[in-house]
Amino acid sequence: MATEAAPMDEKAKRMRDLLSSFYAPDPSISTSGSSISASFDNINSTSFDADQYMDLMIKKSNLEVLLQRHVQMAAEIKNLDTDLQMLVYENYNKFISATDTIKRMKSNIFGMEGNMDQLLQKIMSVQSRSDGVNTSLFEKREHIEKLHRTRNLLRKVQFIYDLPARLQKCIKSETYGDAVRFYIGAMPILKVYGDTSFQDCRRASEEAIEIIIKNLQTKLFSDSESIQARAEAAVLLKQLDVPVDSLKDKLLEKLEQSLDGLQIKPEEASLLAEQNDSSNDAESNEQHPAKIHEDAVRGFSEAMRAYREIFPDSEERLFKLARALTAMHFENMDLYIRKRVSAADFLRIFRIIWEDVVLMDEVLPEAELSDLSAEAAQVTVKKFVARTFSHLEQDISDTILKFDINQKEAVEEEVLKVVLEASKKAGLQGTTDIFQDFRQLLDENIGIFVKMKDLIIGWIQNGFQDFFRSLEAQFLVLSGKTSSSKEIEGGLVEGKSSDKIHAGLILVLAQLSVFVEQKVIPRVSEEIAASFSGGNSQAFENGPAFIPGELCRVFHAASEKLLQHYIDTRTQKISVLLRKRFKTPNWVKHKEPREVHMYVDMFLHELEEVGKEVKQVLPQGTFRKHKRTDSNGSNTTTSSRSNTLHNDKMTRSNSQRARSQLFETHLAKLFKQKVEIFTKVEFTQESVVTTTVKLCLKSLQEYVRLQTFNRSGFQQIQLDIQFLKAPLKETVEDEAAIDFLLDEVIVAASERCLDVIPLEPPILDKLIQAKLAKSKEHNNNNNTVSS
Amino acid sequence: MQGGSSGIGYGLKYQARCISDVKADTDYTSFLTGTLSLKEENEVHLLRLSSGGSELICEGLFSHPNEIWDLASCPFDQRIFSTVFSTGESFGAAIWQIPELYGQLNSPQLERVASLDALVGKINCVLWWPSGRCDKLISMDEQNIFLWNLDCSKKSAEVISKDSAGMLHSLSGGAWNPHDVNAVAATGESSVQFWDLRTMKKVNSIEHAHVRGVDYNPKREHILITAEDESGIHVWDLRKAKVPVQELPGHTHWTWAVKCNPEYDGLILSAGTDSAVNLWYASASSSDEKPSQSPVESIRQRVNPLLNSYTDYEDSVYGLAWSSREPWVFASLSYDGRVVIESVKPFLPRI
Repeated sequence: MATEAAPMDEKAKRMRDLLSSFYAPDPSISTSGSSISASFDNINSTSFDADQYMDLMIKKSNLEVLLQRHVQMAAEIKNLDTDLQMLVYENYNKFISATDTIKRMKSNIFGMEGNMDQLLQKIMSVQSRSDGVNTSLFEKREHIEKLHRTRNLLRKVQFIYDLPARLQKCIKSETYGDAVRFYIGAMPILKVYGDTSFQDCRRASEEAIEIIIKNLQTKLFSDSESIQARAEAAVLLKQLDVPVDSLKDKLLEKLEQSLDGLQIKPEEASLLAEQNDSSNDAESNEQHPAKIHEDAVRGFSEAMRAYREIFPDSEERLFKLARALTAMHFENMDLYIRKRVSAADFLRIFRIIWEDVVLMDEVLPEAELSDLSAEAAQVTVKKFVARTFSHLEQDISDTILKFDINQKEAVEEEVLKVVLEASKKAGLQGTTDIFQDFRQLLDENIGIFVKMKDLIIGWIQNGFQDFFRSLEAQFLVLSGKTSSSKEIEGGLVEGKSSDKIHAGLILVLAQLSVFVEQKVIPRVSEEIAASFSGGNSQAFENGPAFIPGELCRVFHAASEKLLQHYIDTRTQKISVLLRKRFKTPNWVKHKEPREVHMYVDMFLHELEEVGKEVKQVLPQGTFRKHKRTDSNGSNTTTSSRSNTLHNDKMTRSNSQRARSQLFETHLAKLFKQKVEIFTKVEFTQESVVTTTVKLCLKSLQEYVRLQTFNRSGFQQIQLDIQFLKAPLKETVEDEAAIDFLLDEVIVAASERCLDVIPLEPPILDKLIQAKLAKSKEHNNNNNTVSS
Repeated sequence: MQGGSSGIGYGLKYQARCISDVKADTDYTSFLTGTLSLKEENEVHLLRLSSGGSELICEGLFSHPNEIWDLASCPFDQRIFSTVFSTGESFGAAIWQIPELYGQLNSPQLERVASLDALVGKINCVLWWPSGRCDKLISMDEQNIFLWNLDCSKKSAEVISKDSAGMLHSLSGGAWNPHDVNAVAATGESSVQFWDLRTMKKVNSIEHAHVRGVDYNPKREHILITAEDESGIHVWDLRKAKVPVQELPGHTHWTWAVKCNPEYDGLILSAGTDSAVNLWYASASSSDEKPSQSPVESIRQRVNPLLNSYTDYEDSVYGLAWSSREPWVFASLSYDGRVVIESVKPFLPRI
């Protein structure tokens, strides 16, 4: 029936579809035409109203369309009628065939019941037979089972009785594994009956086991045994419930003690590094320390491997041990590089340590030794870089200071020059060495260094930046310029020397700063660009890496500051001299000038010293040099002429001044081009000397202005200044300014004079000549004494 | 004058060293200055800044018998001032009163209120208590410091007490602490010394050589500023007088005088023998500044303290005075007798 139902269904469905295309009974189709007019139009919709539809049609359409519509509808209706007839016929046919099938089924079902009864009877008889067999065999089987149990029991008893002998045999053949297995097998029985029936057996076997345990322990402790054997021994011991932990502790303690031997002590480290070099050729005579160390570490790692296998639960402690060794290595390294260590030595030691770490890492990969040591290595390398820089700084300041001390002992001519050259060299050489060292670091291909390359570059760049900064600070401290900050930092540095710093040293420092600015920093930046570039930037969020521009600026400022400081200290010295000169005598009651005053000599002497120092340290001004040699060449003629000329002018102007000096000077100033007294100091010999002279003359003028002179006092000043003229002009590049300043001194003196009558030129000349002769004689005397 | 960079000038006939603000004149901004001429008739000029601030008017011209080395206006009576003068051979000091006849410019005589003639050595300066009425005066010569009681009505001055600094110290100038009527600072050859006027004893000193000028900060107690020959300007905290709080570069040659602004804290004016007046702003003049910074950092952090340099002078500038009435105005006097009034207003917003 089911087979027929399916096509029936299908057919019905098709018919239904067809019908529904005409009547559209289901709402899904009717809703598609949702508007009111559409529902009127739609014949298929449920709410179709024929009258309304007719009205609409009549209203909307003309006759022709209505007729057409009529014909079309009539045709459709006819079609539907025939379709319906067809459906009725088909369904009737199916109904008849279904009735036929039911009739056939009814006839076939008779006779089935009898067959079923027969089958039941047969199965019943089979069951009763099998029950009979089962009962007849039951008794025999019971018996067999009992026999079997007895046999097993007997075998066990036999085994227990045999146990001591067997154990002895095992001891003899050293098959401790079997022995332990036997013993453990017998254990439950021995435990239950050990006190009664098997007393002897138990005692004997326990004795045997004692021996076995002892043997196993010795085996475990003996280093000669293979690791496998020792591990087995450990396992067996554990099976025998021997407290293994105490054994383990003992072993590990021993291992820990051996750590001490593995340390690279800072004292030995250098030995280790050096011998590594020399022993390449002399390897035969003795094992060099590095080799010994390597063997020791290898042994250590082997032992660790063994213990790890023997005591799997001891990993933590082994890790701890390995980490301790690594940490110790790096600590020692840290101590080692506290001293001055070359990069090569550093690397050698580092390599040894790294090898150790690698060895241990192989054994204990879980200990994360490589991470640990990478961190430690970073710290160490960073420290090494920092130390190298501080050593360099120390070197440079040592060079400077060393010579300073010598200077006091042996007053040589060119000490400053020597100092300058030495420290220049120290600077250059130092940086070159540092670069070499660092290049070695970078070239090193130990895994960790490769990883750290970027970091190292960063450190180096940062290091240079910091180095130059602190060098500049160091310079300032050495020059005594920033003594105050030093005192705050801690008086232990050398707070006392701030006053005693030699002026020349300041000059050297100034020139050194220039040197650093112009030579060292560009070179360093070149080197960095060449081989240390590309330090990753993310490492320096806080501070930027090497910035040569900034450093140059810093050093430029420092050099200017130092040069100014030098001039200051020098002029200060002369100023004290002048102050004493002007404070002591009573100028209003001055006696007639007899000779050029002493202070002029001292003044010139100081200038000479400045000149000497400057000559040693600073370069000559290239541009001005020509002019100066020219004027020197014709010195004898022109200077004498200008002198006489000037004297003429002096007398004339002095007589005028007697009347109204102030007006005259004001007028003169109006017409004279304003002489730039205070120009910028340059790094040339001439510039520094000139500036010093200018400042001193200005001071002289100021001192004069503070006094009141009588005629003789004025004449004394006149004489002194006149005498100063020639030697000053010789030493100084800017003659106009010097002339101006010297004149200013005389003008100041005349303004402050109660009774201005200058010395007659002949007398002036005579006194000067006398002085010159005297000083020449003095010089000659000196020369003869010295020669 | 506002915004103008060049100041208002006024020429004295002769050379001059000293200028003083007339503090007691509350109606006008005025200054007193005196000439320094050995041989000519010396004059005292009373200058007044016109109300528009564009002109400097000579309000009075008085002849003074000797060349004037120091001049100070009385802080409570605008007609009274003190001078230190020299005849060439000896020094003297006196208190003067300007006569009532204002407007007459034909050199009327000054009335001598009192002369401070107990002095023996080379007198250097006379100090008035910086603010308010105080009839006490201090005078200093090279070795001694005197405290005077001035009685204007009786026209007399008496020495109350004196102390000798000793031969070695040769005092050169000083300042009266505006915060403490009993404290006076005096500059000497090798140190700045502090006196307690009650006991008339030296109580403290800053060992620092060649100090030319000294001034207390009127806005902050314990802060003192010194000007030195070679090493510029130092700011000191008197409670910790070992190391200066701050150091300013000063001038190319000596720094002669230094003055704190009476109103704007940290504004410092200095005059130097390099013919320039410099305006500084010592921002961190307090003791809060941390000395622990490394020098490099502090150099980088510190902005240039020099606000402006007035260089329109022909000669060394010795005289310098802030106006207390218009605290953004100062008067400077160069040796050639030129008074220049400048306003620092353009620089005030930066502070």
